[in-house]
Amino acid sequence: MKEQYYKSIRKNVLMSMILIPVIPFILSLGTGYYSFTSSLENSTISSMKRIMEDHSQMIDSFLAERMNDLEFILNTYSYEQVSSPDTLSGIFKNLQAGSEAFVDIGVFNDSGSHVAYHGPYSLKWKVYREEDWFIKVMKKGYYISDIFLGYRQVPHFIIAVKKHKGSSSWILRATIDTQMFTDIVEKVRIGKTGEAYLLNMEGILQTNLRSGKKLMEKTTDPVRYPDSENEIKTFIDKDINGEEYLFATAWLKDKEWVLVIRQEKADAFKTLSFVFNLIVFISMTGFILIICSAFYITERIINHMKQMDFEKEELGQHLIRAQRLAELGEMAAGFAHEINNPLQIIRSEQALIEMNLSEFKESGTLTPSESLSEIDDSMSQIKLQIDRCASITQAILKFGRQSEPKLQDVDLRSFIPQIIDMVAKKASVNGIDIIQDISLATPPVHGDPGHIQQVLLNLFNNAMDAIAEKHGSSGGRLYVESGPKDNKYTEIIVKDNGCGISPENLKKIFSPFFTTKPVGKGTGLGLSVCHGIIDNMGGVMQADSEPGKGTIFSINLPVSRK
Amino acid sequence: MEKMKMMLVDDEERFLSTTQKLLDKKGYDVVTASSGAEALEILNSKIIHVVVLDVKMPGMDGIETLKKIKTSFPLTEVIMLTGHATVESAVDGLKSGATDYLMKPTSIDDLIEKAEEAFNKWKILEEKIRMAQSKKFMKSPREILKDSATD
Repeated sequence: MKEQYYKSIRKNVLMSMILIPVIPFILSLGTGYYSFTSSLENSTISSMKRIMEDHSQMIDSFLAERMNDLEFILNTYSYEQVSSPDTLSGIFKNLQAGSEAFVDIGVFNDSGSHVAYHGPYSLKWKVYREEDWFIKVMKKGYYISDIFLGYRQVPHFIIAVKKHKGSSSWILRATIDTQMFTDIVEKVRIGKTGEAYLLNMEGILQTNLRSGKKLMEKTTDPVRYPDSENEIKTFIDKDINGEEYLFATAWLKDKEWVLVIRQEKADAFKTLSFVFNLIVFISMTGFILIICSAFYITERIINHMKQMDFEKEELGQHLIRAQRLAELGEMAAGFAHEINNPLQIIRSEQALIEMNLSEFKESGTLTPSESLSEIDDSMSQIKLQIDRCASITQAILKFGRQSEPKLQDVDLRSFIPQIIDMVAKKASVNGIDIIQDISLATPPVHGDPGHIQQVLLNLFNNAMDAIAEKHGSSGGRLYVESGPKDNKYTEIIVKDNGCGISPENLKKIFSPFFTTKPVGKGTGLGLSVCHGIIDNMGGVMQADSEPGKGTIFSINLPVSRK
Repeated sequence: MEKMKMMLVDDEERFLSTTQKLLDKKGYDVVTASSGAEALEILNSKIIHVVVLDVKMPGMDGIETLKKIKTSFPLTEVIMLTGHATVESAVDGLKSGATDYLMKPTSIDDLIEKAEEAFNKWKILEEKIRMAQSKKFMKSPREILKDSATD
């Protein structure tokens, strides 16, 4: 029952101790993680976009510059001039000085025949009229090809520009080294896995990939094209191996090529995973700490509760005992009260008998004899026993009905000697020296002087009885001391060199009806009444004794604060 | 000189009878009553100087009886007989006009001593009243005449 109750309380306390800190903890961690993630993603993506912009610009301007190179030649030289090989080789040297990307240069007439050529191959007078590039350049006026293998089975791409000459036209064509071109794109490096490549509209790779794919192969990446010319599209998708990548794409070359930058997501968000791990670690540690402290605190709370409950129960028991004792006192008082009536009658009867006896004696009806003196003796004995009974009932009534104390400040410096005077005669008869040590600094106490007197007289009488038992009629010593203790209490000490109290009796001296005195000498109520009086005054009464050496009673009473 | 007239009031019959015998033997005039009501009846019909009254009685208790005696017969001296060891009930009695108190079980000698004291008190009071009345006579003989005329 009780264990069940503690269990449920423990559960509740534990849950609240864990949940209440964990909720804000998780919220703050979550918020932190979320904002960090989004800012990191933003910065990663924007840095990717920046690289994208730089490189697309670089490639666009590279292409534009090569075009301009050719346009410059077209506008500077006439068809006749560039058709002569010597001039063309001169022009080519100039071109190569400008950019090493130029591999060769050729001049075509409008029917697609090679008119002049300078370069590592012998391609002169080949007819290109059916070639795709030729048709496009004739139509549009300029052309940049995809990378193709052509007759030479070597990857390259060409730039061709058309020039009108009256009704006919001619074309200048240059081959650009793919290696030179690829370098620009392949130089792009982001993190460990970040790379860039070019695709044409059919998804054919125009550059090599560091990750292994080769030029002219078809890409396996899921490419999504930007919606407009100037837009950079970013997205996250899986490649063929199911690896997640962060992609960015942008149009180049009038939407014919796509520049793709990709980076493994894990690589791109490496810091993120580090932070994620850190957060997991922090939360784990946090949880462990919270749970441990919750357990610890809960245990302490529960133990404290148990302690309190135990004390409460003790107090309850104590109250019950006190109540029982009070009831017992009431009962004893009632009992004593009832006994008093028959005792009164017995006393009267005994007085009547005595009176009649003395009348008989006077009238001579009864002559002195052994029997008569026996009767007289019995009579006086009956009287004695009645007195004894009377004193017992009086003591019980005193114990059972503590009168209301009349409180006042008592100056012990004069009060204690007065009480000592009361027993001085008895002490001198028994040859007891009373040694007083009443300090002038003894603080006054607040209480009923009658009660204090009762307590002290009781202690003095007990002490003198104990002394008489050990020393007879000489050599006894009774010490009475008083003085301040701490600054809250006044201490009174009553010490004797009497017979002492055995340890097992010392435990019981304040219990009611406990006495070691011979039958008829003590009721066993004295010290218990004294203890009650001192308790009521808010004080403490203690006894310490060494059998055969003596006994010390100490009383600590609160100092009067007035 | 007037002789003391005593009344014992207690619910214990035997105590009454025995004490009465004892006091008789000592030469005192004693009546007994076993309840407060009975005591009041007797007081109505007889002059009693000293009442010895038990505090704890069934029905009308001692204090109540005392109050009634003091209102109807203020000159009567009352000694309370208490079973309490504390003086509480005695104090209650004294406050309500008792002359003195005795603790049960009391001895016959104590009882007689206290009763005598009370009787002396009564006598002094009686003397004072007589003196006052005689002063009254000195003052207005007319009134005496008037009084004797109405008798």
